[in-house]
Amino acid sequence: MKRTLRFALIALLTVALLPLAGASTLAQEPVTLRVTNWAGVEEAAEFQAIVDEINANNTEFQLVYEPKPDDYYTQLQTQLAGGTAADLMWLDQNHMEWAFDGVLLDISEYLANDDRDVANPEDYFEGIWQTVAINDGVYGLPWIAQPVVLYYNRAIFDEMGVEYPTADWTWDDFRAAAEALTNEEHYGFTLNDWPPIQMFIWSFGGEVISEDLQTSPIDTPEAMAGAQLYADMIFNESCCPSEQTIAEEGFAEMFKAGRVAMFMGGAADDLDRVEGLDVGVSPVPKDVNGGNTTFAWTAATAINADTEYPDLAYEALIQLTEGIHHWKIVSPRVSQANVEHLVASEPRKEANAEAILEAVPYMRAFRIFPRMAEWDQIFWEDFKDPLYHGEDTVENLAADARILLEDVLGD
Amino acid sequence: MSADPGAFNTYYPTFLRYIAVAIGLGLLMYGVYRLLRRAGAKHEPATGFTLVLPWIVGFLIFTVFPIGLSFYLSFTEYNILWDEPRPLEDPLFNYKRALSIKVVELPEGERPLQVLGTMEGPTPETVRYRELDRFRLGDKTYVIGATDGNFLKAIWLTLRYAVLNVPLGMLGALAVALLLNQNIKGVGFWRTLYYLPAVLPAAAVALLWFWLFAPNSGLINWFLSPLYKLLDIPPAGWFTDKNLVLPSFIIMGMWGVFGANTVILLAGLKNIPKDLYEAASIDGAGTWKKFRHVTIPMLSPALFYNLVTNMIASLTIFTQQAFIPTDRQDGWFVNWFIYNEAFNFGRMGYASALGWMLAVMIILLTLLVFRSSAAWVFYEGARQEGGA
Repeated sequence: MKRTLRFALIALLTVALLPLAGASTLAQEPVTLRVTNWAGVEEAAEFQAIVDEINANNTEFQLVYEPKPDDYYTQLQTQLAGGTAADLMWLDQNHMEWAFDGVLLDISEYLANDDRDVANPEDYFEGIWQTVAINDGVYGLPWIAQPVVLYYNRAIFDEMGVEYPTADWTWDDFRAAAEALTNEEHYGFTLNDWPPIQMFIWSFGGEVISEDLQTSPIDTPEAMAGAQLYADMIFNESCCPSEQTIAEEGFAEMFKAGRVAMFMGGAADDLDRVEGLDVGVSPVPKDVNGGNTTFAWTAATAINADTEYPDLAYEALIQLTEGIHHWKIVSPRVSQANVEHLVASEPRKEANAEAILEAVPYMRAFRIFPRMAEWDQIFWEDFKDPLYHGEDTVENLAADARILLEDVLGD
Repeated sequence: MSADPGAFNTYYPTFLRYIAVAIGLGLLMYGVYRLLRRAGAKHEPATGFTLVLPWIVGFLIFTVFPIGLSFYLSFTEYNILWDEPRPLEDPLFNYKRALSIKVVELPEGERPLQVLGTMEGPTPETVRYRELDRFRLGDKTYVIGATDGNFLKAIWLTLRYAVLNVPLGMLGALAVALLLNQNIKGVGFWRTLYYLPAVLPAAAVALLWFWLFAPNSGLINWFLSPLYKLLDIPPAGWFTDKNLVLPSFIIMGMWGVFGANTVILLAGLKNIPKDLYEAASIDGAGTWKKFRHVTIPMLSPALFYNLVTNMIASLTIFTQQAFIPTDRQDGWFVNWFIYNEAFNFGRMGYASALGWMLAVMIILLTLLVFRSSAAWVFYEGARQEGGA
């Protein structure tokens, strides 16, 4: 029995370890780097094409793409905790706070020794670059900067006799137009906590997070003016659909169905190529400084701090980012903020390319700080939600919310 | 996706780990068997224990160890993305944070947040008392503040859900079991139909109810639309109105308990000896008296089992809320609340403490039910002394 058992064990071990006989061959294979994102079927296929091109031109590493279209951040967080996360990952601005938890690789030294344009921080819009430049380090490369622009249905404007929006519109012009465009069949505008209320606050000269990340001055007159406008318009049927109407008919779907005259959406959205709709694009109304401050949705590709091959992962990051900058619009790079580049990346946006690029210089993203998720929860529960539903005045809500928000910032 | 050039490199280490675990377990089993035999155990019990060993190892690693670790983490500050937990100056901080309450006078013109203040003692972050409620005493107003009112609200919502859902569900299951206990044609079809809820995936069922409860296009509001028109009120926002969140989940929960509970009660009904009913009839008992004095006592063990399992299931409700989003202010069940604390806000230490408090609450309530069983659970027709 003993001999049989011993023989069985040896045989099993031999079979299991046999492939290691080719160990010398393994050592010469290119390194495998894993990259993950949240892309669905179509987007994943386009991303795979970029990955294939990179793999075809590389001998040192090969990228393996692992899309996670469902529960992306839950899966990613669990994998990071368990040490099985991919080497490269997409992160939106709301999750760049993971840099404070030490799970993202600081690439600032690599960038300092890299003279390629894609590695040049000066070539990125400042409002976008600040989402990756955290605490004297750099924790990723932005691959997109989508400014919010104003899509408008020309037919409704013509029907109601209202002039088309321009970059010179003030917020008073905008609100007056929204009301003038509302009748029993359609609304002038729509709000549903999108675009972010921060955009309105910034436009009126206020801030929700100070530059030093220490305060949340939402109770200044400027901030409250922006928030008040948002509160006056949201779910107000004199210009916008009610909450239940939006829940029933869909938010962007109402614009596509011709039920809403103006919609603030991302520059890359398909709102201007809906069949049967004649849609124009304009920057959002002017801010107090004469510009057109707008919110930019942005995301970056970051490297896992625990990657086994940081040098190769950085090289892969550079090549991936360059590839994505020629795919997604709007590129976050100043040198690529032109009609030719935009149209080359997305030909379907040719008609509105100039209007989109008008918005680009004024775009800004959220500031990144620790415990952003908690800050967002308080901002929603103690300020935005009661404000949208008229539960208290903006002054009272801002005063209380500021205390709670600054508790999070101060720790 | 295109061919993975590194598949072998990627998956071979995992394959090796599987082999290593299998060999390790095998060696452990062999070693334990030899030890037991040397210690004098006979062949049969030694073999039995050896064969159960893999399950014991799995239980220790995947159940006992995480439970112990969560208990340890409940006294620390920990985010799962960190390398290790950070010790707390006050080890009981997480527990105090969940349960601290104070009552202060609210002077005229002041707002609660300004008078309630922050948590006393050493804290790793600022924890502020928030208004939970307020009341008047004489000509003074007092405000009740809590450091985590949302957790207390979650506990209260969960308890109310359990108190309403469990008895209603058991009554419904008993009624259906009594109906299915008839000898009618096609009863097999009905038994299958009523058992279906138990075998459907919980996530799919939750989504289905989400659509049923949709404010404007859902079937329930469509059915009630004549009533809304009559009363001139808007359609009910079942999951957006904080007063309707609990009733909505209870209605969902009722449908879910029919399946397995009905089958268990039906089996219990089938086991009641018919001669008891005959004897009751001879003594002149009518339908109600037979139900009250024969059916219920003889069914009490099955009812007791259903009560305990349903109570635990109600107190740990999770899947339904994971697929039906509600605002935290409108109502989160405590299990979902704990999940969000751990994974959305990164407070795994705090979430561990909340988890332990929930576990203790469930254990205490279960013990209460067990203690009460002496009064109403009958085994083999005779009352047992001293509990179950």
